[in-house]
Amino acid sequence: MLLTDTARGTSAAPAPGVWFGGAALVGALVAVALGVYGNVHDAASETTIRWMFTTTLHFKAWMTTVALVLAILQLFGALWMFGKLPLAPAPSWVGPAHRITGSLALLVSLPVAYHCLWSLGFNPDPGGSRRFWHSVLGCTFYGAFATKIVVVRSRRMPGWALPVVGGVLFTVLVLLWLTSSWWFFRTIGVER
Amino acid sequence: MLRRISFVVEAIVGVAVIVTVVLLFTNEPEQAPAAPVEAVEAAGGIDGAAVFADNCAACHGGDGSGGIGPRLAGGRVVTVYPDPTDQIAVVTTGRGGMPAFGDKLTDDEIAAVVDYTRTVLAGP
Repeated sequence: MLLTDTARGTSAAPAPGVWFGGAALVGALVAVALGVYGNVHDAASETTIRWMFTTTLHFKAWMTTVALVLAILQLFGALWMFGKLPLAPAPSWVGPAHRITGSLALLVSLPVAYHCLWSLGFNPDPGGSRRFWHSVLGCTFYGAFATKIVVVRSRRMPGWALPVVGGVLFTVLVLLWLTSSWWFFRTIGVER
Repeated sequence: MLRRISFVVEAIVGVAVIVTVVLLFTNEPEQAPAAPVEAVEAAGGIDGAAVFADNCAACHGGDGSGGIGPRLAGGRVVTVYPDPTDQIAVVTTGRGGMPAFGDKLTDDEIAAVVDYTRTVLAGP
């Protein structure tokens, strides 16, 4: 790399797509690490946090629902910031509010993920379809979250990276909710 | 102001992530001791395994390893319910997310399935 190239801003820096590939790799590593842990770890099959709910499973079903509601707010904020809503330009508070709802969604998901990984583990049996796909989606969710954090923090990402990762994250969370909370509410009932 | 709140929330989440990861690796599950299996009369020659497969496996797993419901295998139910009548009561009347089976199964079927979870599923 020539010094003059750097001075002109034409250095051989990796293309934005390469930076995004790095972010995706980080997410993939996180997802795989969680899957490996869930597989290798001897599932404790024990109740963890219950808070004010009947069982840990009730707690998990509702916390995942809270995460989904926060994610919907996230989607709304993102669309507003990207000018995709028929509204006036997003005011300055939308950005921080978007970050807060995202952080809270991650926060409420942690005890849920903890019980899934520590107490139940990864279900490697594709024949047990719901549990298998829920396991895959759970690992993918945190991988996508890690990728999104890297994308948000970097100025070198392609313009499409953030909406794509955000969209994937939202989609995975919806599928997670469908394979857990929705299934739980339909099977056990909507109860606290 | 919101920006400051955002930083605080992110810091809290960061700490929570670290705590969660640490707990995943340091929180050791209780080991189910090899408690003696208490006998439960399974009257009428009812196949507890069949009752389990039809009524329990969907939530507790086909091998009793757990799922939406807790693990039963490996002697876990013996640890949690040293007295089999307590386990029978839970199966009969339900508890928490677990439905009551008192109206669905006969007393003998409940006894048979409880016996199955305490013997066969307990493993060697």
